[in-house]
Amino acid sequence: MAKPQSMIEQVRSSVAVELDRKRKPTLRPDKKAEKKAKHRAKHHRPMKAAFFRYCYYDPAFKFFVEQVLDVDYLPLPEATRQTTEVGVQNSSDYVCTPYKHILGDFVEALDLGADMVIQFGGPCRLGYYGELQESALRDMGYEFDMLNFAHGIEKGYLGWAKEVLSKVNPDIDIPHGVVKLKGTAKMMELLDEARDYFLAYGGFERKRGSFDKAWDGYMNELRCATDERDINQAYKHVMESFRAIEIDKPERPIRIGVVGEMFTAIDERSNLGLDHKLMSLGVEVHRMLNFTNRYLHYNEPNLRVGAKDYITYDMGPTSTLTIAAAKQYAQAGFDGIIHAKSAGCTPEIDCIPVLQKISEDYAIPILYLTYDSQTSDTGLDTRLEAFYDMLAMKKEKLS
Amino acid sequence: MPEKAMWADVSVVGIPRSLLYYRYGVLWTTFFTALGRQVVVSEPTDKAIADRGEHLSVDECCLASKVFMGHVDSLIDRCDAVFVPSYPTAEHRTGFCTKFQSVTDIAKNTFRDQHLEVISCEVGNVRKVRDVRRPFEEMAIRMGASRKEAHSAFKAAFAAQAAHDKVLADAQERTLRQIVAKRRAAQTNPNADPGLGILVVAHPYITHDAYLSGAVLDALADMGADVVFADAIDHDHAYKKSFEFSDTMPWVINRELIGAILLTEDKIDGIVLISAFPCGPDSMTDDAIMRYIQGKPILNLMIDAQSGTAGVETRVESFVDILRFQQKGGYTHG
Repeated sequence: MAKPQSMIEQVRSSVAVELDRKRKPTLRPDKKAEKKAKHRAKHHRPMKAAFFRYCYYDPAFKFFVEQVLDVDYLPLPEATRQTTEVGVQNSSDYVCTPYKHILGDFVEALDLGADMVIQFGGPCRLGYYGELQESALRDMGYEFDMLNFAHGIEKGYLGWAKEVLSKVNPDIDIPHGVVKLKGTAKMMELLDEARDYFLAYGGFERKRGSFDKAWDGYMNELRCATDERDINQAYKHVMESFRAIEIDKPERPIRIGVVGEMFTAIDERSNLGLDHKLMSLGVEVHRMLNFTNRYLHYNEPNLRVGAKDYITYDMGPTSTLTIAAAKQYAQAGFDGIIHAKSAGCTPEIDCIPVLQKISEDYAIPILYLTYDSQTSDTGLDTRLEAFYDMLAMKKEKLS
Repeated sequence: MPEKAMWADVSVVGIPRSLLYYRYGVLWTTFFTALGRQVVVSEPTDKAIADRGEHLSVDECCLASKVFMGHVDSLIDRCDAVFVPSYPTAEHRTGFCTKFQSVTDIAKNTFRDQHLEVISCEVGNVRKVRDVRRPFEEMAIRMGASRKEAHSAFKAAFAAQAAHDKVLADAQERTLRQIVAKRRAAQTNPNADPGLGILVVAHPYITHDAYLSGAVLDALADMGADVVFADAIDHDHAYKKSFEFSDTMPWVINRELIGAILLTEDKIDGIVLISAFPCGPDSMTDDAIMRYIQGKPILNLMIDAQSGTAGVETRVESFVDILRFQQKGGYTHG
């Protein structure tokens, strides 16, 4: 397991010498900024809020901002190389990669005119993203508000509601907001459901690009949705058009399950288009990990029961889902599993010893992919092709 | 409720001298001793243990957790079961790195083929005594103790840990007072040595593991510095203080370290941060500390698969030179 390179003695060090105390030792915005924010909250509501880029959930974020928070949404264009570079330059080098991507997104959003950015809270390092990114962006000179769901997380929904009311918009109509919040959840669910179909059949389309075209139409329709009815309509349309697409699916296609970390395993920008790469090889892709299964329907203790031969405790934010999914794929006779994570993601690294045992017990090959901000596209192609060839050969031999 | 005494026949409990042993070791050992078990603590880390751990772990793990695996390995055949508790991450302001939550299952899976028996418990919020007591008592019952025995064992163990922490905290206070006294003496008497107070900020399993941080501490001692350990400063006080620095920081140990910096900042001359590569929480908090703690020079050291000490020594020496130069008036007042 151990590579010789990692044994090379290395000392990384840096020194900070700032003898005048130019600011208070706190990450909180200083008094002046706080006062300004209070004034702005009273007299000028934030006009434009932006999320970071996250997988295909952009329409749901838009719905949330416009319908629940009742402020304008600033959509971000496709990410570029520049986005990531800005993020990398302004973060410490061994922080996990999603932090860098998100920081780049925020910089871009603020450049485009957003005056509020929205960040999640969570159980691992994610819980600290918001505060650190806010301080980093302020150090870069930006003035903005951040709606950080790591605040108020200890009080759950009530804490978040309070946070939203005080930070964004004190005039939110609460009953209306709750209804729309339900709509947001519905949209997330239907996005995931359509995506599951897309992944399972997208690799076998007769005419190239027909699934992508239907998917883009779906995204556009959802972006225009204003209530649950529109959302259901859009879902109906996309499923109709998915089913209408001619497919050419072999009887026993190669099936691969994707497991891994919440951001990298789903987000096509950070995993360099893993979904599309697999589909273009003609693979039936399954991915249990998505927003619905992790947040909306997540019952960790019960999920863990299914994998209790391997784990006793919850091992981290998405670890149980990773392991339970891997075990299910192995039991269902999948041909292979791909484990995708960002560099330095501790919980997913900790899953690897468990996945190795699953791989041993069920004789299922697992490809471990670690993404950092410099992972090369061609390198990934080669690895996926080799993995595919291996699975195909194994399948042929066994049949 | 535990169904049966599944660990009743465990008479020798092995405890790896690594990770949270340096924080809760006294509690663990006292607890098992009070239950009438024999406790074997693994030997201090050496190269053999570290290499073995490196071999057993996934490449990308942090240095400290690789060392941990080496310790567990060294305990095989020396005890009936190894104690690897799981500490929570679910608490939003008093959590741990997810490593401490998953370490039980990592150990179980890594040593599955050696049929290693692992006893464990899932601790709740570490800042609430009840949340800690309950899992420990349940574990004792699984080991065949009565409810009453379990209760008194935990009581003794908790008191022992508290007393141990207090002794350490008092020692840091004394050192801090000495540093201040030396500086005062030097102000009136120009011939006296003004001393040099250094705050070492690192997770306890780095600071107190001589294999990992010994080179740094030795270099500091050779340069005549008085070292204060941030991880030993009164935990409760430091934890509360840390909210002045950050609202949302999720890790209790990092909170205590930052609180300790804020508490002692005015009494010391410089700060040395030590992290094991690639430590998750430190990757974020070190960044925050380097940018927001101003007024004292900070050296940020990252240690990775230690085999030589020259690199560390040079860096520590040059840092201490900066501090000494500063004491003499520095560039601005020269």
